[in-house]
Amino acid sequence: MVSPCTEIANTVGELYECSSINGFVRIRTPYLYPDGDVIDLYLQEKDGQITLTDLGDTLRWLRMQTVTRQKTDKQEALIRDICLTLGIEQYRGMLLLRVKQNEPLASAITRLAQATIRVSDLWFTFRTRAFESIQEEVAEFLSELKIPFTQNEKVRGRSGRTRTIDFHTRHPRQSAFIEVLSTGSRAAANAKVDSIFATWSDTHYLKVGQNDIKFVSLFDDTLDIWTADNFQFLEGISDVAYWSRPEQFAELVAPKS
Amino acid sequence: MLPQEEFEEIINDASKRIESDIAWDEDEDHSPAVEFRAEIASETGYPLFVKGSYNPLTEKLTYALIHRGAGRIYALDLGQDHRNPNGQLVGEKHKHRWDENVRDKDAYVPTDITAPATEPVNVWQQFCAEARITHNGAMKSPPPTQLDLFF
Repeated sequence: MVSPCTEIANTVGELYECSSINGFVRIRTPYLYPDGDVIDLYLQEKDGQITLTDLGDTLRWLRMQTVTRQKTDKQEALIRDICLTLGIEQYRGMLLLRVKQNEPLASAITRLAQATIRVSDLWFTFRTRAFESIQEEVAEFLSELKIPFTQNEKVRGRSGRTRTIDFHTRHPRQSAFIEVLSTGSRAAANAKVDSIFATWSDTHYLKVGQNDIKFVSLFDDTLDIWTADNFQFLEGISDVAYWSRPEQFAELVAPKS
Repeated sequence: MLPQEEFEEIINDASKRIESDIAWDEDEDHSPAVEFRAEIASETGYPLFVKGSYNPLTEKLTYALIHRGAGRIYALDLGQDHRNPNGQLVGEKHKHRWDENVRDKDAYVPTDITAPATEPVNVWQQFCAEARITHNGAMKSPPPTQLDLFF
C-alpha cells in the first residue's frame, strides 16, 4: 500500500509532458485556461541560463476572447500586480522568468503556471461574461473620483410617468443625471437612444431654475454599435460622453472650474 | 446569454461576408504573435466580427467569431490542446461551438480542417467555408517573425 504522499511524489510529474518546438522545450501542463484550453509553457537554455516563458500565449488567449481592441487600464494594473506577486517579468507580451541558480525547476514552472492562470482569469472580468456590468464600472469610476452619487433614482416626469435615472451625481460645482447607453446589438441601439431621449424630454423641467442639473448621455463605445446619428440625436438635448474617454466624462460631472 | 436558436441562425446564415482584404499585424503588446480583426456584414445584421491570431513560435493558430454582446461564440484552434468539461482531451485541432449550457467550453475535432497551423491562409479558407463566411477579398500571409528571441 503506497501512502498518498508517496503517490503524489511519484505521479505529479506525469501530469507534465515535454516536447520540442522551434528550439524550445514545450512543457504541456495539467492546467487550463478558462475555456478549457491547455496551458503550455516553454523553456530555453542559453549560456547556462534557463528561461521559462509562455511565449505570449496567455495574453494571446485573452485577446482572442475579447470584443474590445485593447486591455483596459484596470486589466493592465491587475496583470502588473499578478506579475509582481509571483516575480514574473512581462516582455513583449510574454510572461517569463529566469530560473535562479538555486531554484528547483519544478518551483519555477509552478510559479509561471500560476501567473498564466491568474492572468487568463481576467477573462472573468469581461463584460460579455456578465460578471461586471457597465453600470458597475461607472459606479466604481465615480467612487474612485470621490463623487457622491445615487443609483437608479426614481424621478417623476412632466408626463406623470416615473423615470429611472442610472446615476445622480452631486458635486459641489455641478449635479448631473447620467444615463448609460450600452447594448451588444445594433438592432437595439436606436431603441435605446429613443428611450433616453424620452427620459430627458420628460424630465427637462428639472433643468429650469436654480436646480441646474446637467443631463449626461454616456455611450459605452467600447463596442462599435453606435452611429453618428445616435450621438447627434442626444447632443441636442444632453451632454454626450464616451466611456472610452473617461477623463472627459469626469470633467462633465466634476468640473475643475 | 445568447439563446441557442439565435446562435444556430447566426452560424447557418450564408449571407455572412467580409468585404475587405485581411492583413496580419502586430498585437498591442508587440508579442511574437500577429493578429487581425475583420468586420462581418450580413443581411440579418448580427453584430459580428472575426479575430485571427498566429504565433509562429508556438505554432498556434486561432480564428474566432465574436458576437459583440455574447463574446466568442465559435472558434478554431490549431496547435493548442483542449480539455472538455467532461474531462476528455480533444487534441491540438479543435473547434469551439456555442452551447447555451456550457457557452464555448465544449470543443470537438473538425474533420473539415485539413491544413496545418503553419499554413494560416489555407486554414482560413477552410474555416470560412465551414462557418459560412464569404470573404470577398484576399488574406495576405503572416509576415516572417524573428524566431530567435533575446530574453
